[in-house]
Amino acid sequence: MGTSRSYEEINQKIRDGDVVVVTAEEIVELVREKGEGKVAKEVDVVTTGTFGAMCSSGAWLNFGHADPPIKMQRIWLNDVEAYTGVAAVDAYIGATQLSETRGMDYGGGHVIEDLVRGKEVKLRATAYGTDCYPRKEIETTITINDINQAVLCNPRNAYQRYNAATNSRDETIYTYMGTLLPNYGNVTFSGAGVLSPLHKDPNYETIGVGTRIFLGGGQGYIAWEGTQHNPGKTLGTIMVIGDLKEMSPHYLRGCNIDRYGTSLYVGLGIPIPVLNERIAQTAALSEDQIKTQLLDYGVPRRDRPVLRDVTYAELRSGKVEVKGKEVPVSPLSSFKVAREIAEKLKKWMEKGEFYLSPPVELLPRDTPFKPMKQVTRAPLVKDVMTKPAITAAPEDKISSAAKVLAEGAFNHLPIVDKRGKLLGIVTSWDLAVALGTGKRKLSEIMTKKVVVASEDEPVDSAARKLEQHNISGLPVIDADRLVKGILTSEDISRLIGRRAR
Amino acid sequence: MNIKIRLKYAEEALNKPILAEVIRKSSAEINILHAEINARKGEILVGVEGPPAEIEKIIKLFEEKGVEAEKLEHIVTLDSDICTDCGACVSLCPTGALSITEDYSVELDEDKCILCEVCVPACPVRAIKVKRP
Repeated sequence: MGTSRSYEEINQKIRDGDVVVVTAEEIVELVREKGEGKVAKEVDVVTTGTFGAMCSSGAWLNFGHADPPIKMQRIWLNDVEAYTGVAAVDAYIGATQLSETRGMDYGGGHVIEDLVRGKEVKLRATAYGTDCYPRKEIETTITINDINQAVLCNPRNAYQRYNAATNSRDETIYTYMGTLLPNYGNVTFSGAGVLSPLHKDPNYETIGVGTRIFLGGGQGYIAWEGTQHNPGKTLGTIMVIGDLKEMSPHYLRGCNIDRYGTSLYVGLGIPIPVLNERIAQTAALSEDQIKTQLLDYGVPRRDRPVLRDVTYAELRSGKVEVKGKEVPVSPLSSFKVAREIAEKLKKWMEKGEFYLSPPVELLPRDTPFKPMKQVTRAPLVKDVMTKPAITAAPEDKISSAAKVLAEGAFNHLPIVDKRGKLLGIVTSWDLAVALGTGKRKLSEIMTKKVVVASEDEPVDSAARKLEQHNISGLPVIDADRLVKGILTSEDISRLIGRRAR
Repeated sequence: MNIKIRLKYAEEALNKPILAEVIRKSSAEINILHAEINARKGEILVGVEGPPAEIEKIIKLFEEKGVEAEKLEHIVTLDSDICTDCGACVSLCPTGALSITEDYSVELDEDKCILCEVCVPACPVRAIKVKRP
């Protein structure tokens, strides 16, 4: 290893005004041209940036004491509840908490943005009253300047990379990865790729507790490893902290994720000191070297099926091949703003406005990420469905189907081909409507667009489908659309009955 | 040239195949984007693609047959002060009206927009607005 430099040497160069800083995008080209040895010799710091929705974000606020004083037991800011299970007038407003009056249109992320914009925020709190805090309720308005502390404190930010998402179902789904069109109709992804802070120091040689960073337009710090930090799978995260009063609404934006909820776009950038050649080499990883996995979010399970590996270069190109077809891609995080952040951090150092802080402790590289311990297994469709399902053929007569339903005392009749593949469904309601219309065959009255379930789908997810489509039964099919059974609201009632006992 | 035209049918024009007649007499491409027709009145929003003279001709043809035809501009807007250029909208847009430019900005080409409005609720910061006249 030829080159080596220390934090103090770099900070001296910042003081002297001759520090050499490049962005994580620029270093890729530089290393390609000159090789990491030469680049490590010339470049002192590499700046990164990311700007994406980071749900695990929020702010600690201290409002000061009212007179007479109140020990806030519950508190709402613009009708969004904040957590007050701490001292009397401290509260934590989380990005995903929804407004109790405006629902998904407004949430904690928007409250944080409004505070940063200097807007007036309505505060309402209730309490049980004590001898020292006699007051039981309060209503007032505050701005960020009226309160003592406003500290952005995000337990999990800046995912090293994130899974890309698509949807195998035949209906549009609304997820935290955005709107996913049916039948692999689009792909979404998050993360800044070539500018991704944690991917530019994947061995965690420089990033650690106490690292000074760009946070929301101000200067903040890494407080700890982030929750779910999983560096072994290149899914490292960081917990960050910084003064909300110093931040800018351009880099902290409340957002709505359609039919999912609210969140907060957080602008974050980390400077990576080029302490040696190896760091120059990892900081120069290009987008075709940064891989992630494309997952099927159509499967509502914790372990979603991986469809393929995909590089950020492919995702960035706007088209990705899924199951043999070219699919349009949407980034969910702004590469343009990520670039702005890396540039800004660079300018700060060049102008002597930002100094590097050596980490007090490097981040762990072996943290395990465990699934939740569950004492009971959530029931799956195959555990409660009725099987085998009684089916009929499209050419069967309506009259004979009516007899089958009446005799079996059930309401749903999946229509299948000779192999048992689902073609449609006829319900007792369809039969009632068909009476007297002169129609004879089931094929004339069957519904062809059938809402279905799969055997390994959680019952909760199937119940959600019944509710959303206002129906009472789902044929259960396998990957080849062969009917394996049927799940009806009666099956679910029976399950709940069992649980109650 | 690509323009959106709002057609207002008076009650007496409702049951005549005016749109079909205009399509036959014109070389421009006429695409129905939105239609609302009831017993008393009808309103159709069409996208028309063709040379400017042809578009003027179409408007005249409609008006001759008693249909009020009004050119509409800026029905759909992408507010660049609000937009974060994330791109969440682009893969949902069926016509490529929303796209990411070389400098990673998100751009709206109103000519290509068919007003399906899929992008409107999908924008995380509500930067896309459709003002239906």
